[in-house]
Amino acid sequence: MIQKFIKHQNNWTLIGLLATLLILMVVFTISSPYFLTPKNFLNIGQAISIRGIIAIGLTMAMITGGLDLSIAAIAAAAGMIAAALINGKVDGNVAAMVGLLGAGVLGSINGVIIVRFRISPLIATLGTLLFFRGLAYVISGGNNIVIGVDTWSFLGRGFVFGIPVSLIFFIVLIILSYLFMRYTVIGNYIYAIGGNSQACRNAGIKVDRLRFITYIITAVLAGLGGLVLMSQSGTAVPIALSGAELDIIAAVVLGGISLSGGRGSLFGTFLGVLIIGIVNNGLILSEVQIYWQMVARGLILIVAVTLDSFRKGGGYR
Amino acid sequence: MQPLLKIEHVSKSFGHVEALNDVGLEVYEGEILGLLGDNGAGKSTLIKILSGVYRPDQGQFNIDGQLVHLNDPSTAQKLGIATVYQDLSLVDTRPVAHNIFLGQEPRKYNIFLDQKKMERDALSILERLHIQLPSVSVDVEVLSGGQRQAVAIARAIAQGGRLLLLDEPWAALGVEQTQKVRQLMKELRTQGVAIILITHDLSEILQDTDRIAVLRQGRLIGSTESGQSSQHEIIGWITGAIKGEIRSSARLQ
Repeated sequence: MIQKFIKHQNNWTLIGLLATLLILMVVFTISSPYFLTPKNFLNIGQAISIRGIIAIGLTMAMITGGLDLSIAAIAAAAGMIAAALINGKVDGNVAAMVGLLGAGVLGSINGVIIVRFRISPLIATLGTLLFFRGLAYVISGGNNIVIGVDTWSFLGRGFVFGIPVSLIFFIVLIILSYLFMRYTVIGNYIYAIGGNSQACRNAGIKVDRLRFITYIITAVLAGLGGLVLMSQSGTAVPIALSGAELDIIAAVVLGGISLSGGRGSLFGTFLGVLIIGIVNNGLILSEVQIYWQMVARGLILIVAVTLDSFRKGGGYR
Repeated sequence: MQPLLKIEHVSKSFGHVEALNDVGLEVYEGEILGLLGDNGAGKSTLIKILSGVYRPDQGQFNIDGQLVHLNDPSTAQKLGIATVYQDLSLVDTRPVAHNIFLGQEPRKYNIFLDQKKMERDALSILERLHIQLPSVSVDVEVLSGGQRQAVAIARAIAQGGRLLLLDEPWAALGVEQTQKVRQLMKELRTQGVAIILITHDLSEILQDTDRIAVLRQGRLIGSTESGQSSQHEIIGWITGAIKGEIRSSARLQ
């Protein structure tokens, strides 16, 4: 069992990530007395849950060999839609559903451009990133929409058994998605498409339809992330999460999802998200200047893509 | 004994270019037919017609004596015609078993992959064909060229292939690997599979095949039992240096 685990090359990525995690925890435990406490771990959990939820869908799109730069813009737009409805006296849960539906529509726009018009995902979603962010501004004429921290706050600020609801959402969703990718036929196809889409077409797999669906899943989960943020802060901000798309992509790539598709797992994504969350948290607790966080994240992104190229180029083969 | 596949009067033009002109062929169970010809002779066109990728302008197709229409690749596949593509169409990043059953995976409760059954079935097919691989759970990318070819062929068989179209199966293989694929072909023959082998490698063509058909400029200009010909004659037919003759359309009983 253990031998089989070690023999599999993808598992080396996971072992590397677990080792990194361990080293980071030792370093931060030494540098801050507050780091290794249950309360701080709940903080980290809550902090990573938004980006983590968004990273789940992105992971699926990237496993097909795709990419989505518009995730943060979709998250902002979903938050704006829901907040506008809530302030228009619509029930919070209904407003949230409409926000997710809106996100799904935006995702289908990505899907059509990428799958139907055959535009590279990088270029297509670079365009829709601006387009969707623009829509988020248009909804309120550029203003923030304040719903207040006590309105529809359960998703972002609620606790169940002392655990943040958003963290529970993240953990449950990532476990379900992991099982979906690993054990269902469709999940298997999503991996296979990323490995060789032409082979899948020859085998009669509906490649285009599945790729299209991954962009919708990505968008809906991004929308959910946006709703959590809106609920947490009691405010929908059109510029919400601007720039976070790169962080999230960095976390996913760090977690072992290849930029060329076909490789990696949601367990890796979880570790990638967790490592970035711990770095951010640990640097703050260690009273490192905030600007260094940006430097650290940049370094992580560089390390992540370098590892990705090693994996492809034969570093672990 | 009736042929597994019999085609008659097959023609196909692309604009003014006549790729195939009134070609007829028969293939029997447990037989390896070498389909030879220079570049542009029409081999690829014929293979694409048989695998359902191209529609012929004219022609009749019989499988087991029944008239069939090869309208598209999935129809051809259902009729038992399996093409092993030159690039193998394997997913490098997925395990052997997943590749063998790609698109036809055994399922549990309709949505889940029945991984155990898939690995068991993959293993039994590999055993049946005497293909040796380290494991059915390793990714295809770690396999050698010959092993990859074997996986592609195992897939064709697993998915119900009775007639394999092998296009240059050892184009990219070394000597030892090529021998292994040759052995596998012979194993398939003894198990009753029919094979149409397309190759440029004429060095062992008489040993590799039971029968040979030569296309030249879109026409079938020669066919013979492999044992009744010589390499010299086959090369002559292909280049046009020797006038071809139709000696046999079917295997002698």
